[in-house]
Amino acid sequence: MPPLPLLKGTLDLLVLRALSWTPMHGFEIVSWLERAATGSLDVEDSALYQALYRLEERALLEADWGVTENNRRARYYKITAAGRSFLRTETRTWVKYANTVTTILTASRDALEAPSAS
Amino acid sequence: MIRDGIRKVFRVAVNRPDRWERDVDEEITLHLALRAEQLIAEGVAREHAGAEAARRFGSIGEARARLIDAARHREQRLQRTEYLADLRHDAVFALRTLGRQKGWTTVTILTLALGIGATTAVFSVVSTLLLHAVPYPHGDRVVDVFQQPASGNRTGIEVTITPSAPTVRAWMAGSRSFEAIEGVSSGPRALKTADDPVSVMTATVFPTFFGFAGTHAILGRTFTPADLDAGGRVALLGESMWRGRFGGDPAAIGKTITLGDSLYTIIGVAPSTLRLPGAPIDPVDAWIPLDVRNDSLGMSVIGRLRPGATIAGAMRELDSLFARSAGFASAAIPFKTAVVRPAQRVRFHDSLVMLAWAVALVLLVACANVAHLLVARSVTRQRELAIRDALGAGRGRVLRQLLTESLILSLGGTVLGVGLGWLGLRGLIALRPASLDSLQTARLDLDTLGLTIAIAILTGATFAMMGAVQAARHSANDALKSGSLTTSRSRRDGRVRSLLVVSELALSGTLLVGAALLLKSVINLQRTDLGFTPHGLYALSLPLDANHIAASARAGVLGGVVSGIRDLSGVQAVAVASVAPGSRRFRIGQLQVRGEAAPATEKSGFIDVISAQPSYFRTMGIPLQAGAVFSDTSGDSREVIVNAGFARAHWPGTSAVGHQIRVAGTGSEPWLTIVGVAGDASTDGPAAWSSAPVLYTPPAPDLHNPVILIRTTGGAASVAPLLALARRYGVRRSADLESVEDVISRSIAAPRFIMLLLSIFTVLAVVLAGVGLYGVMSYTVAQRTREIGIRVALGASRGRIARAVVARGAVLAVAGAVIGLVGAVWGTKLIESQLHGVTRLDPTAFIAGGCVLIATALLACLVPARRALAVDPMTAIRGE
Repeated sequence: MPPLPLLKGTLDLLVLRALSWTPMHGFEIVSWLERAATGSLDVEDSALYQALYRLEERALLEADWGVTENNRRARYYKITAAGRSFLRTETRTWVKYANTVTTILTASRDALEAPSAS
Repeated sequence: MIRDGIRKVFRVAVNRPDRWERDVDEEITLHLALRAEQLIAEGVAREHAGAEAARRFGSIGEARARLIDAARHREQRLQRTEYLADLRHDAVFALRTLGRQKGWTTVTILTLALGIGATTAVFSVVSTLLLHAVPYPHGDRVVDVFQQPASGNRTGIEVTITPSAPTVRAWMAGSRSFEAIEGVSSGPRALKTADDPVSVMTATVFPTFFGFAGTHAILGRTFTPADLDAGGRVALLGESMWRGRFGGDPAAIGKTITLGDSLYTIIGVAPSTLRLPGAPIDPVDAWIPLDVRNDSLGMSVIGRLRPGATIAGAMRELDSLFARSAGFASAAIPFKTAVVRPAQRVRFHDSLVMLAWAVALVLLVACANVAHLLVARSVTRQRELAIRDALGAGRGRVLRQLLTESLILSLGGTVLGVGLGWLGLRGLIALRPASLDSLQTARLDLDTLGLTIAIAILTGATFAMMGAVQAARHSANDALKSGSLTTSRSRRDGRVRSLLVVSELALSGTLLVGAALLLKSVINLQRTDLGFTPHGLYALSLPLDANHIAASARAGVLGGVVSGIRDLSGVQAVAVASVAPGSRRFRIGQLQVRGEAAPATEKSGFIDVISAQPSYFRTMGIPLQAGAVFSDTSGDSREVIVNAGFARAHWPGTSAVGHQIRVAGTGSEPWLTIVGVAGDASTDGPAAWSSAPVLYTPPAPDLHNPVILIRTTGGAASVAPLLALARRYGVRRSADLESVEDVISRSIAAPRFIMLLLSIFTVLAVVLAGVGLYGVMSYTVAQRTREIGIRVALGASRGRIARAVVARGAVLAVAGAVIGLVGAVWGTKLIESQLHGVTRLDPTAFIAGGCVLIATALLACLVPARRALAVDPMTAIRGE
């Protein structure tokens, strides 16, 4: 399967999701996303950093310099309380949206017309 | 914690703005390295891994720019939040610290507030009266022009002569010093209404006046020369009259009004901001054109000098123009031209300037107080600051903390001070003497307020910093270790504070002397024997002219009113005179004595002449020292009564009665025989006391505006029906009944007002200086508690300890007093012109000033001395 193009705004959600367990630095997040999506997201690495900076500016993330396992200086990102609540509500919205779209796209013709007929 | 980490990053970032650029670069580099490593691990050839990592990253240049931009925004936002958080923290901390020392805080804020309040109130008054005296454009070049008698004015009051139209024309045609010359005359006129006529304020001006004043009609138009050619029967309404009497109706234009006996067509409305020169209070209700071609007119003259023209040059020029136009040889002109800046002519100009100085001194004292309060405090806080330093608070942080504190103090002082200033100004306006009536337009002067607040904040900040810098210089270690200050340092601090206190005391001392002089002068004025008895005396003026009472009916009206008054109960004596106490009437000429050569030096002068019935002397309470009252009161009586001062000066040791005198103008005046000598009476109030010649003549038969003087035992109630009586005889317009006692007391209201103000500021300054001294002494005692304890333990008597404290205070007080009194020797020059019956170097005033100052100082030392007495040696020695 060719990589999926990413819908606008979803990258932010994915990043927050990635950070919802533990603080990570940029490349860790990228690798996590690639692993989680099994290589099927079409996004340039730079877009991820822009998302990170954007989220940080909105105070949904915090960042601080730390040291990796291999003793390299890296900027670690951590989700804030505001970020968590944003993630919760946005996830709900997304799931509802996706369900609706899925329902419509996968339902048979009869099922769709039934309500209007009754 | 990450949060703190960010703060640390932020601190560095403040110093190096390119920090976030390097952060972004570092992050990108790391990412590319890690990606390359990952690719290699997945089997990509080492030489291709870098390129592949970069490809996956996307456009590095573009991404980098965007990230740097985002990072910058983020940092700036953080910086703001941090800053606000710090500020809030500082403010809360400062409030808590200040709250712990309520007494100190209260004293400091009050001191600032008093300084700001007093200064603002008084400077608002001064600026209203002096600085904004000219309501026209280029006010710095606007001058008043008038004439004064070249010689012969010995009346003790300034005599000004309004120039005549021909003179003004000569000036306008010939002057090169002036850009513009305007003639103005103003006064009340009767406006005909449906009911009784009402008196309205009118001003007549040249058609060019509106341009001179930089204003336009708010409705209709202003005057044109064509209006004058057409007879000048046009008027501009004042805005307030237009709104009040015409309901602000634009249709008022074209209507007519009757002023006096003439009909005027309304052609426009002048704005209420347009004022007459000399800042009279009553707004002008109607403006009428003034025709300078009318030779019979006189007018006040105001002019605008050309840029660069000097006042002296303008005076010379106008003098010579006047001499040429009137045909005098320029050395022999009877009038000299005066060109004066309007502010110089404001009444009590000198007093106002003196008050401004006084209040500036008060502000200085207040600032000095705040300064040493702050310095003393920062010294006592040395330990606290040292501990905070040791705990890692940066010096900048501590400095900011102290600045925040001083700003909060300034803010508190400012808010309270503005309130006090406003109240003070309202109070001053309420207390204003009638002669300073224009005070009622005074508003809080925003420039002054701003300046004062700036001075207060600057003082606070400077001395807070000074304290902080001292604290910083003093190493944290020392302060913590020694538990007290090193001797040399404390001595230096002590010197700064002593200097501040001595200067406060000195300034207060100068003010004290000034206030004492003015107080003595006012007491003198009040005690002055006026030579007549104002108490129980009333004056009823009957403007027969303005009421159109025919010449033939005047004697009847006057007689009727007088006999009506005689019938009132409580009335002891009644007399008709030409002039009431509080005003004077002069005859211009040379006072000649028959049989003596005419004095060569003075060609003519102003001679007080009062035309009065024989009962005048009894009614006024002026004793007759020789001779008798008039025996002949007919129209061609040749009798005269002179005042004692003149008689004494001219016939020392012998009686003046029987001699003949006259006021010679043309030389054809008849000789008058002196029949009596009356005591000197200062009918114009004590400030105008003089023994210059006064001539009393029998009442002229054709008094236009007679005054009836009434001596009563019944007080105001017995004269209350008088105005109704006057109306019955047809005197409806502007008849006026006044208590002479009020008139006299009004005449010294202004000196009393000035004295009161200066006294208030003096008390303020003295109290502030006392508080300052108290502060220094209690600080000294607190600092030397241990030393005092040791001394007591070693057997020093408590009396000796108290004496030492008081002696230190006394040294400061005496130093302050000496400097202050020396300052007063110079400073009292400012009030010299306002002193009556006391010289500016009056020793009692100086002694009194010094004594009050020293007494205050001793009082201020009392509490600290008692505190020193109460020191318990054991507690003191054991430590703090």
